[in-house]
Amino acid sequence: MAIDGFDDSAKERLSALADGELDLAGSTASCAAWAADAQLRADWHAWHLIGDVLRSEDLASNPRHDRLFCAKVRARLQSEPVVLAPMPAIAGSAGRPFDTRGRSRRWTAAGAVAAGFVLVVGTFALVRPGDSPPAAQIARVDGPATPSDAAPTAEASAQPVAIVADNKVIRDAQLERYLEAHKQFAGSSALGVPSAFLRSATVDSAAR
Amino acid sequence: MNAPDADAPLVERVKQGDVKAFEMLVVKYQRRIERLIGRMVRDVDLVPDIAQETFIRAYRALPQFRGESAFYTWLYRIAVNTAKKSLMELKRDPLVTEAARAGRDEDDDNPRVDNEPSDAATPDAVLASKQIASAVNFAVEALSEDLRQAITLREIEGLSYEEIAELMNCPIGTVRSRIFRAREAIAARLRPLLDTREGDRW
Repeated sequence: MAIDGFDDSAKERLSALADGELDLAGSTASCAAWAADAQLRADWHAWHLIGDVLRSEDLASNPRHDRLFCAKVRARLQSEPVVLAPMPAIAGSAGRPFDTRGRSRRWTAAGAVAAGFVLVVGTFALVRPGDSPPAAQIARVDGPATPSDAAPTAEASAQPVAIVADNKVIRDAQLERYLEAHKQFAGSSALGVPSAFLRSATVDSAAR
Repeated sequence: MNAPDADAPLVERVKQGDVKAFEMLVVKYQRRIERLIGRMVRDVDLVPDIAQETFIRAYRALPQFRGESAFYTWLYRIAVNTAKKSLMELKRDPLVTEAARAGRDEDDDNPRVDNEPSDAATPDAVLASKQIASAVNFAVEALSEDLRQAITLREIEGLSYEEIAELMNCPIGTVRSRIFRAREAIAARLRPLLDTREGDRW
């Protein structure tokens, strides 16, 4: 029984929405149809009235009263500012909060990998105007480390460019030598540095 | 899904700015909220007003609703608080409240709606309610066993489609279709009682 262009499958989806059995993405079309079609709104009311009466007969109300009640609420809602709850964007995904958490977990994992290799990446990231003393300290401590991950390599080759471009950066000579040495390694790591650390690097990065 | 809130998709839509989704919730819960308030407030004329106020307050507060309880539980609390507040105002200043109620007819922006008798307790309204209750019961009795079981498990037992599918030993899609067909069959019997007059549509 198609009414106003909405066939039974559209109405069946609206019925599923009434039971909370449509996800957020699936509800979009049903809500739009509800807003556009008076017959669907009448169905929606009838279905909920039926549910209420099945649960408790004293919920059987005068349908005209229901209609007037909802018309008044609708009129008042029109003068209300539209509600917008603060939330991470991208409409249409029901699991957004979880996505966000997933991302932070991934970052944590990536951080663990980076920390495990003590590296160049960290050192380069710290080398910013005004930050040179701590960076130098780390550089001295971490002398023997071997850059071995593809991602750090990319960062390692990108960062020094920025540093060179900024003439105000002050570095001590030791750090300079350290960076120079590891830039060489960074370039060759993909081909296989003869290092005992390399194997675990590959495994850890794949396990992310 | 453990004890899923059937309203979660609609609530989420409202939070993203879909006012119509909130209207859908109003249509769904208006009777229950009015009954609840009717048990707290003796003056039946005040019940629809307090119920409306409840929904407006709920709409305003929805960004703070975190889904830690079911939406209806949260709405129920707002209704109780709104009713209590109205009762206190009534005690504090009954004349002002009385005057405000009398003046409403003039300054409402929707006079056509407001001039309609909204009293749910007139003899006509009571009769209409009784007719609806008996029509629903009659229509449910007339359903096939499959449809009656599906709609009963959903509406009275509050089971999810998945649980009903397990109980009725059929796919979830079949449950969804049976519940829909049951609703349509019952609604078809109700339609003569629900039919709207010209210009008085949902």
